[in-house]
Amino acid sequence: MKAQASRSAWVFLTPYLLATLALVVVPALLTFRYAFTDFTGLGPARFTGLDNLRRMVDDPFFAASLRASAVHVAIAVPLRLLTAVGLALLLAAPRRGGRWYRVAVYLPTVVPDIALALLFLWVLNPIYGPLNQVLGAFGLPQPTWLATVWGARFGVILMLLFPIGEAFLVVLASRRALNPRLYEAAALEGCRPWQQMRHITLPLLAPILVLLAVRDTVVLLQVSFVPAYLLTDGGPSNATLYLPIYIYDQAFEFLGFGYSAMLTLVLLAITLVLVVLQILLVRRWRVLR
Amino acid sequence: MTIRFAHVNKSYGQVDALRDLDLEVDGGELLALVGPSGCGKSTALRVLAGLERPTSGRVLVDDRDVTDMPPHRRDVAMVFQDLALYPHMTVRDNVAFGPRIRREPTDTVRDRIDKVVHQLGIEGVIERYPDQLSGGQRQRVALARAMVRAPQAYLMDEPLSDLDAQLRMRARTEIVELHRAIGATTIYVTHDQAEAMTMGDRIAVLVEGRLQQVGTPAQVYDEPVNVSVAGFLGSPPMNLVPGGGVLGGEPDTIIGVRPEDLLVDAEPSGADFTAHVSVVESLGSETVLLLVCQDGTRLALRTPPRSPFRPGRELRLVVADGRRHIFGAADGRRRLTGR
Repeated sequence: MKAQASRSAWVFLTPYLLATLALVVVPALLTFRYAFTDFTGLGPARFTGLDNLRRMVDDPFFAASLRASAVHVAIAVPLRLLTAVGLALLLAAPRRGGRWYRVAVYLPTVVPDIALALLFLWVLNPIYGPLNQVLGAFGLPQPTWLATVWGARFGVILMLLFPIGEAFLVVLASRRALNPRLYEAAALEGCRPWQQMRHITLPLLAPILVLLAVRDTVVLLQVSFVPAYLLTDGGPSNATLYLPIYIYDQAFEFLGFGYSAMLTLVLLAITLVLVVLQILLVRRWRVLR
Repeated sequence: MTIRFAHVNKSYGQVDALRDLDLEVDGGELLALVGPSGCGKSTALRVLAGLERPTSGRVLVDDRDVTDMPPHRRDVAMVFQDLALYPHMTVRDNVAFGPRIRREPTDTVRDRIDKVVHQLGIEGVIERYPDQLSGGQRQRVALARAMVRAPQAYLMDEPLSDLDAQLRMRARTEIVELHRAIGATTIYVTHDQAEAMTMGDRIAVLVEGRLQQVGTPAQVYDEPVNVSVAGFLGSPPMNLVPGGGVLGGEPDTIIGVRPEDLLVDAEPSGADFTAHVSVVESLGSETVLLLVCQDGTRLALRTPPRSPFRPGRELRLVVADGRRHIFGAADGRRRLTGR
């Protein structure tokens, strides 16, 4: 009976296992192998030892790419988290029409990456884009956005401030799971709303916020490159040449599969280091007990 | 501090949680507010604390109208049913939270915390977090948090309901002793009538949002004003039989007899009736017999422990002199106590 159950479990797991094997495990192992070769995607791969790593050290594009990714993550992760947490805490309390606001916050998350990027090409257009028209109407400066280094960096981040539905939902649900008696007890002590936020809500949500920060770091470092790629294609002057974009360019534009495999390993290492650092930091704050 | 609910109504949509609650709590007394679950007793407490606004009526504290006053200005401390300890704070921080929020001077606060913590015997766990405490310790921390404020009144909303039976008995006496020592007005909400009877200087019985009766435990137990109160207090509750049945009485009445006022009669006396024992519940210090009469009426009878009676045995019963309660059948109101 037990053996039968476990056999049927394996049968059900098989399609997923096969796909994971073919699409994740095998390519990952191949990446490790190619990282130490001069593989171009065509013809045989020649083992070159640490040549790719040496090349990386002297590669100005890699340096620019590293800088672009670092700036991006350092600004986008806190901003995205702040937006998601702010909106979630604002909309967590039941109020008339609240559900429509919550739907509105989540909606951009279901927009496909490509559609979002095309939309923002229009939003950020310096001449007829709605953003600059609004800024102009208030007499504010109208930047040329994607044409300047910081304009492009902030343009991409602005775009990424919209698909935050997942973090929004997680914070919303976590906030609603907190015991309302805690807030009543605090109200009886004379605790004002911002004190409740500081002394009750944020500390109790801290483990969740850390989880979201870690996850968002991973996502922004590795996954969210499609819209940025469409929006800026790494430019101007490599300001948005995020690591995944550079990796993609190396592999598929310049046929440097070996080099891009090494870049991928470095990205993996950077991600791991950041995640571990975040977790260590949090341990010190005693948030995770 | 005296507290007065003046004709307080509270409705949630269609549901009336409190109906014309008019109740006065004397300064320094411990009033047990008791009733079945959903009777509105917690609502009454929350209205008094300022966590809910009454739909109509006023709440007066020391003859001052506090109905529109925010909770923290009413100088009352509340102990919640689930205790509502802050899970991310140590015991010390939990107790110190209120004073810290109110920016009270730290040196006097520290002395007060030390005193309260000592009084409750939780010095040893002061650096622990709530999830590292036993149920009894958690309960004390909740009390400590209320006491450190030295409020004019304590509002307790079934604070013992999560403790096991033995701990609960001990905590009961402790709360009563603390109350005596502190002397602050206390309203203690419970659905447990034994808790209410043993703890309250007075008992207020609330049924379906309506105040039924207020009085000392003895008054409420011996002279319940209506069948709701009679049927709620006592374990097992009062036997209530329509008039003209085995307990006698006029047809338009309901006759009530407490299980301890039903006596097994050895000799026929003319006033007696018979019933069969159906279940014997031995509770150690006493035995409760569940009886079925000839006409199908079910009665409970309390006897001393180690009762010789077994299921199936036929008993001859009489009602103790003067222990028959008579209620109107139509309104359920008490008429008189008679033979």
